[in-house]
Amino acid sequence: MRTSNVTYLVKKGVSSVWKNFVMSFASFSILMVSLLLVGCTVLLMLNVNIIMGNIEDTNEIAIYLEEDVQQSQIDHIRNVLESNSDLMDIQYVSKEEGLKNFSENMGDQAELLEYLDRNPIPETFLARAADLTKIRHVVNLISEIDGVEKVQAPYDFAGILVNIRNTFSVIAIAVLAALIVVSIVIVSNSIRTSVFARRNEINIMKYVGATNGFIKAPFFVEGMFIGILAGAASWGLTWVIYDAVYSMFGNDITLWQMFGFFDLIPFDSIKWTVLGISCAAGALLGAAGTVISTGKHLKV
Amino acid sequence: MVELKNVNVHYSSGVDALQDINLRINDGEFVFIVGESGAGKSTLMKLLLREVAPTSGRVFVNGYNLSKLKGNKIAKFRRSIGVVFQDFRLIQELNVYENIAFVLRIADQPMKFIKQRVPYVLNLVELAHKARSRPKELSGGEQQRVAIARALANDPGLIIADEPTGNIDPKLSYEIVELLKEINRCGTTVVMVTHEHDLVKHFGGRIINLDGGSITFDENIGGQNEDE
Repeated sequence: MRTSNVTYLVKKGVSSVWKNFVMSFASFSILMVSLLLVGCTVLLMLNVNIIMGNIEDTNEIAIYLEEDVQQSQIDHIRNVLESNSDLMDIQYVSKEEGLKNFSENMGDQAELLEYLDRNPIPETFLARAADLTKIRHVVNLISEIDGVEKVQAPYDFAGILVNIRNTFSVIAIAVLAALIVVSIVIVSNSIRTSVFARRNEINIMKYVGATNGFIKAPFFVEGMFIGILAGAASWGLTWVIYDAVYSMFGNDITLWQMFGFFDLIPFDSIKWTVLGISCAAGALLGAAGTVISTGKHLKV
Repeated sequence: MVELKNVNVHYSSGVDALQDINLRINDGEFVFIVGESGAGKSTLMKLLLREVAPTSGRVFVNGYNLSKLKGNKIAKFRRSIGVVFQDFRLIQELNVYENIAFVLRIADQPMKFIKQRVPYVLNLVELAHKARSRPKELSGGEQQRVAIARALANDPGLIIADEPTGNIDPKLSYEIVELLKEINRCGTTVVMVTHEHDLVKHFGGRIINLDGGSITFDENIGGQNEDE
């Protein structure tokens, strides 16, 4: 197709947005709100993942060794732990260090330890699980290593975090799917109105030999143009809302940090990516709405 | 060239719109197709435009076998013919120039060609001065001349005119047919459907009469204007 024809069809599609202003505006508004909710949900998901990651990082697995463990066994256990990619930050705590730490934790009552005839604290390895969902599996593996007496891990804490993350993901996906469907239906209704308003013109076009593509192209432009505008507008609103929420957590950073609210994504660092994705998503939803309405209502 | 061989059109409503039609229209001919309402004229036009397909038989137009023409080839076929309708069918949102340029765009003609061709065909129908007018600003006769200019834009070998004088002043009807005759004299085949017997008698030529879906008359008659 010639460039002049492409320009013509694009102009035709864009001008149709203004001619069909009421429906176009309705589609634009609903699409914008949908994209805004989708954008916020996605950003929320990303940040929840970071927060969950931060909380997960605080998990600690304590691996207590047997009383009479030999140095060669300790080295072997260290090798096994270090070669397991599901474990990180592996740290050896000797009996002496363990007693010292225990004594510090006891505070004023540390004097009581002086009455002990031997050091009751076992040789210990401390580690963190890289992935909380695998914690039970990792603990089972460690328990079977020769020389390991007992393994303590925060199962309940891991279970709660995994459940929160899974529930949030399911809700987010359901919200996204519902918004996508609503957006497509709204755009397709707008394009259907446009098709109806131009039914005589379409009929004439068919008689003088216009191809399906030539007839449908302006409707695609119209749908995609509304989508891109809605994407850009939703991006602006997302920026305002996100920055407001972001600064709220930034004001009392120590309080929120206790709950893992740190290293959150600043909007400035992702603004162009979000703009690109919002506009592309808008264009895609617009195009999808057009496919439905032209397929259903434009018998060419 | 137009050729119909043993063509039948049967609608799902039970109506036999055309029955065993055999017809050949050679290049360069001017043919009037006449008949009462319900005689099958409209169905014949729809057949020639590939708006309907024959139930049986074969239809050839401009080298296309319309009986076997697939959906994606219909647009290309329609670009090879010019069509004029009783109700003009001009796009109201576009001005006269754009209405004609539109069919050239569809045919993917270059802009330079469009800028030359549109004024040329408007000159042929003597409406160059109305190029920037909207269809609703024109009289019925003028709108039909724009429709004829649009039909001529792609320089088709065949023009199909479906009751082109049906919506205009009787006096102007003669001008429209005269214009189509002039186009025909330049080598374009013209098939014109009409129910206006006075026009047919006036211009004469090959007349095909349809009645009850069948051809009952197909002969050349002398026109009154030839006697004048």
